[in-house]
Amino acid sequence: MLRDITLGQYYPGNSVIHRMDPRFKIVATLVYIVGLFLVNQFIGFIFPLVCLVLAIAVSRVPLSFILRGMKPVIIILVCTFVVNIFMIDGGEVLVDFGFTDITSQGLKSAVFLASRLIMLIVVSSLLTYTTKPVMLTDGLESLLKPLKIVGLPAHELAMMMSIALRFIPTLLEETDKIMKAQMARGADFETGSLMNRLRGLVPILIPLFISALRRAEDLAMAMEARCYKGGEGRTRLHTLKFSGRDWVGTVIMVAMMVGIVITMN
Amino acid sequence: MSIKIENLVHIYNKGLAYETTALDNVSVEIGDGEFVGIIGHTGSGKSTLIQHINGILKPDSGRIVINGTDITEKSVKLSELRKKVGLVFQYPEYQLFEESVIKDIAFGPSKLGLSEEEIDLRVREAMDLVGLDYDEYGSRSPFDLSGGQKRRAAIAGVIAMKPEVLILDEPTAGLDPKAHSEMLAMLVRLHEKERCDIILVSHNMRDMAEITDKIIVMDKGKVALTGTPKEVYSQKDKLFEIGLETPPVMQFMKLLEDRGIKSEGLVMTMDEAEEEILKLLKKKDA
Repeated sequence: MLRDITLGQYYPGNSVIHRMDPRFKIVATLVYIVGLFLVNQFIGFIFPLVCLVLAIAVSRVPLSFILRGMKPVIIILVCTFVVNIFMIDGGEVLVDFGFTDITSQGLKSAVFLASRLIMLIVVSSLLTYTTKPVMLTDGLESLLKPLKIVGLPAHELAMMMSIALRFIPTLLEETDKIMKAQMARGADFETGSLMNRLRGLVPILIPLFISALRRAEDLAMAMEARCYKGGEGRTRLHTLKFSGRDWVGTVIMVAMMVGIVITMN
Repeated sequence: MSIKIENLVHIYNKGLAYETTALDNVSVEIGDGEFVGIIGHTGSGKSTLIQHINGILKPDSGRIVINGTDITEKSVKLSELRKKVGLVFQYPEYQLFEESVIKDIAFGPSKLGLSEEEIDLRVREAMDLVGLDYDEYGSRSPFDLSGGQKRRAAIAGVIAMKPEVLILDEPTAGLDPKAHSEMLAMLVRLHEKERCDIILVSHNMRDMAEITDKIIVMDKGKVALTGTPKEVYSQKDKLFEIGLETPPVMQFMKLLEDRGIKSEGLVMTMDEAEEEILKLLKKKDA
């Protein structure tokens, strides 16, 4: 039940996109998002859209998987769409409800914002679909390294992140197991008043917290037993390498940004 | 209660790249009052199978008929089903959450809408069955108990619901030898006293030989062998093929046989071995 959430998951594969340098993928995603916000008329969306379609096609992540990942954010999408369509006035009136109306300007900006949001979500989920969490944090650590001068603990942050990411599936599985176990003892999470349902969470949360704390302690002990003492002097198993495919990617991203800037008005 | 499972199929992550068929056309029958053992490797589908019996998992196809009703039908009330089929998961001590042992055991029964007295009675009975003293441990926090006691308290929580079928997923995993044999003794006692069907998932060949009436061997989501312990263990080659062994007593008798001391019939349990060896010794003296 909880495993149905695909957003933020890794989709195993061996495509060019999967093999790209995570640093490039992180920066490219950020650049892409900046690009999306620079676009100020419909024609400008062509470039990011082409890039996205290309990236999805090359990555071989099935479209159904991507669409499933959109599920949890659909509510946000619908809300912004509705707010925009009703709140923005201008242009001709298309539908008149009396107390409010839909104008051509409102419709246009609602569609505009929705497409921007959809592309934003898809591109950021594509990043996690095609990059293993470990690679993602490695990339992040390497990108944040220069900020050490101003006192940013890049390694510690990356380590915390990778541990957190590592434990998401474990804790989800654990939650699933505890829920099942309590269901087998007659617990009911789906019916009853809000108060009752909240009370129903206690039998899940307490065992979950206890097990999370126990796991944290075990992990700390296991890390210490293997001589972990912070980032100082640590070498890595996978060294990141910026290779040919990343240069191709860079060229494509630059071309996209140029296109976007040219079509701005 | 009789349980009839027909052509059960369960697929995890259907439609994804990592789709796996956990149960592949499984058909099993469990009769009234039986003590059934399920053996198999990790990932053979044991846990998936037992979670179907009380409706926690839904099959992709196939039927599960309990006492004549098909529980895969939508109209079946799962709460009713769970009253009849108690399921104890692996490491059940991790589901304890209440402030006292009594309260934790009472969690299940209180969901059944029983009176206070009835609940208290059931808690006492359950604690007695699992061998935890009501006065000594009842008001303690479940987190203060030892590992084996915690597990027994958690099992008491399921027993207190008075299920007609009790399913236990590796209840002896990680217990020390003493707690291990206590657990088995408790299950046998429960089976005799409450007359409920027990389905026990385990890796332990010896336990299976000692206490079950019937064994189901699972392999790669399919039923590989089924029958009485004697029937199953006599198919040694098939078991080896799956990567399972015969009970240590049988291995010992095989070693004796290799040295020319042949026992009569299939000697599987400790008691049978004792008798057989005494017989052999007497024969030698005579």
